[in-house]
Amino acid sequence: MINSAVYIYDEFGNKVYIDVTYSGEITRTVPINNENRHYQEILEWVENGGVIVDNGA
Amino acid sequence: MAITRLGPNQDITAAKIAGQINFKNLIINGDMSVAQRGTSFSSMSNGQFITDRFFYDRAGLGITAVFTGSQSTDVPSGTSFANSLKMDVTTAQTLGPSGGTYFGVTTKVEGYNYKLISNQVGTISFWVKSNLTGTYSIVFRNNGNDRVLVEEYTINSASTWEKKTITLPTFTTDGTWNYTNGMGVSIFFCLAVAGDNDTSTIGSWISSGVTSIYGSSNNVEFASSTSNEWFITGVQLEADTSASDFEFLPYDVNLLRCQRYYYAHEDNVARVGRQLSSTEGGYDLPFPTVMRTTPTFTYNSPSSDLVQVNGNNQSPTGYDSARSNFGTKSAYIAVDYSSNGAGNNVSCKIILSHSATSKKEFDAEL
Repeated sequence: MINSAVYIYDEFGNKVYIDVTYSGEITRTVPINNENRHYQEILEWVENGGVIVDNGA
Repeated sequence: MAITRLGPNQDITAAKIAGQINFKNLIINGDMSVAQRGTSFSSMSNGQFITDRFFYDRAGLGITAVFTGSQSTDVPSGTSFANSLKMDVTTAQTLGPSGGTYFGVTTKVEGYNYKLISNQVGTISFWVKSNLTGTYSIVFRNNGNDRVLVEEYTINSASTWEKKTITLPTFTTDGTWNYTNGMGVSIFFCLAVAGDNDTSTIGSWISSGVTSIYGSSNNVEFASSTSNEWFITGVQLEADTSASDFEFLPYDVNLLRCQRYYYAHEDNVARVGRQLSSTEGGYDLPFPTVMRTTPTFTYNSPSSDLVQVNGNNQSPTGYDSARSNFGTKSAYIAVDYSSNGAGNNVSCKIILSHSATSKKEFDAEL
């Protein structure tokens, strides 16, 4: 289960990853890529009310 | 693998190449020999991979059943298999007519591989064993979740390995299919399904109500008792009207094919890197094969690794995802540590721990 998610920007200022913390304190870096299953899970989490924190580049 | 040598002016015939590896099996790790994540998983959550490419698949309301999944050494006698996948019920639950619930094991075939069987008749074969005899089902599903095929098999004798072969109707091209690096077809070995998620249409492609079909209405209630166990190995899907012998691959080839989807780095090796600041150093980590897509990265227990700068040892405290890069062929990982006083571009040596609990995981599963 996802606890929190934060957008990560690369050194060019592009939004490229999402750092996700799951229950159990596991952290994953998930690429913003529709073919990635964890990214698909995040989109589902957002559809159900989850919010990805965006702290900017 | 026997090799037939041909002399000059000799034709290559089917008989001469029989038995040669030709990657006819679209299922990767069908012999369950590769288990990069571990060999036993208790109280599994949905999506937990057991052996590589095979995961516990469940959904629905009010789930109380609990399973342990493991890589087992219980195999059919007289065969060359060394491993099977085992599902063991540790908390029982009978599903009944409603709840939208199902339990089982799924493997997914990538579109590039699925393309080899598209619009053709296929045959699936496997060895299976359970103390619970009766009818079980297998569900084939396309990428768009708008076509589904349900097939049944019967376990006739309790606790006895049996080989099952099912010839499938032509893989339809109707509906939405993926022929590249997405999911080509998913294959769900149903162990139990609630009445509102089953079907009595067996052996033909279904285009209506697909999203709520996860098994046959005749499927056993495998989760009904903690005595129940189910084993499977030798899963093979081939484009043919009959099953041929299971195609064993050399272990390294099988492992490499699995690593396209998941790679766990747990070698005790050192990488040479460079400091990005006095508190951060980066290093390259190449993958053994090209991954299916950009992977998800998990850095377990960074403090188990060691960074050496100017002869001083430091334990990483974490990693900086913004200054790391993850591609399909390699990763560049920026690790964080407390200040060592040395500046940018100073060389550092990162010693990666050899431990299952500190592995770096790259996940590009379907």
